[in-house]
Amino acid sequence: MGEAFQQVSDSMGELVGSFYPAAVYGNTTVGLTVYVCWFSLAMLIMVAILLAYKRNIEGRLVPHGTVANAVDYGMEFIANDICKGVLGDTWKEHFPFLATIFFVVLFGNYIGMLPTWKAGTGSTGITGAIALASFVYFIYVGMKKKGVIGYIKSLAPAGVMKPIAVLVWFIELFSTFLRLITLAVRLFCNMFAGHVVMGVFALMISIFVTPALQAFTISNMMTGAMSILWLVLLLIIYAVELLVCFIQAYVFTLLSAVYVQLAESEGH
Amino acid sequence: MSNIFGYAICVVGAALGISFAAYSAATNMARQPEVKGNLFTVFILASAFIEALCLIGFVVAIM
Repeated sequence: MGEAFQQVSDSMGELVGSFYPAAVYGNTTVGLTVYVCWFSLAMLIMVAILLAYKRNIEGRLVPHGTVANAVDYGMEFIANDICKGVLGDTWKEHFPFLATIFFVVLFGNYIGMLPTWKAGTGSTGITGAIALASFVYFIYVGMKKKGVIGYIKSLAPAGVMKPIAVLVWFIELFSTFLRLITLAVRLFCNMFAGHVVMGVFALMISIFVTPALQAFTISNMMTGAMSILWLVLLLIIYAVELLVCFIQAYVFTLLSAVYVQLAESEGH
Repeated sequence: MSNIFGYAICVVGAALGISFAAYSAATNMARQPEVKGNLFTVFILASAFIEALCLIGFVVAIM
């Protein structure tokens, strides 16, 4: 059993390495990576499902069929839980953007849950791009509401002494740019770490069961029996990951909504 | 080996943070069931912030 654990820790580097983006065309700076391909596939599936939903509800009030009802539930969830809860009166204006963000992240996450497929959101490039879209949107909303100068000024709270207001302005500016980084890194870390953990358990199953298949001895069978435990753990982690995929999409949209609300609100 | 200990410290912090958030959320949902929805949102948000730190620890530990 000892050497099996040793073998697992030896192949950890290779496992983690397989999750780094590899170039399909060009190189990793300019070109298509594996993650971009999976993300594009996820987007194609998403567009197909949403178009099917649109055709389904055209001309009638109630969607028919499982897929259309699922999409409808998702839309209602965003409208009620995120938009109305956080944004208040102006929710209708921001609903299309937030719903797009939610579905993009959701499909990007869930495509990685099929065995051997990779999550589209598992690389910093793609999560960074989605976070940038959200960042640009809430700054645009703020500038449209208060004007360019007004928005830049509104980062510092009104009615504070001048020197302190300048200091607070710099801190707020820093934290605004930090939002971009935290949005991207949170999603990336969740997907990357989740898949590495699942990969480790899958690797452990195969390494522990190999000696039991090669020679029928007591110690080999003991090692092989351990892999049943790893299989149970893998299934549990898989179930947790299914939940995490949804929660991360929810959190990403919720935070975007909170940032939009902060940019819109008068004098915070 | 040291990176595993570093990650363990990180997990202790995150576990304390999330458990405290869950404790307060559960307690206050029981006291005031009408704000359940709002509390759940706040709880998920807080957990996401705490969890992000822990995950950054994980990524740094395996690098």
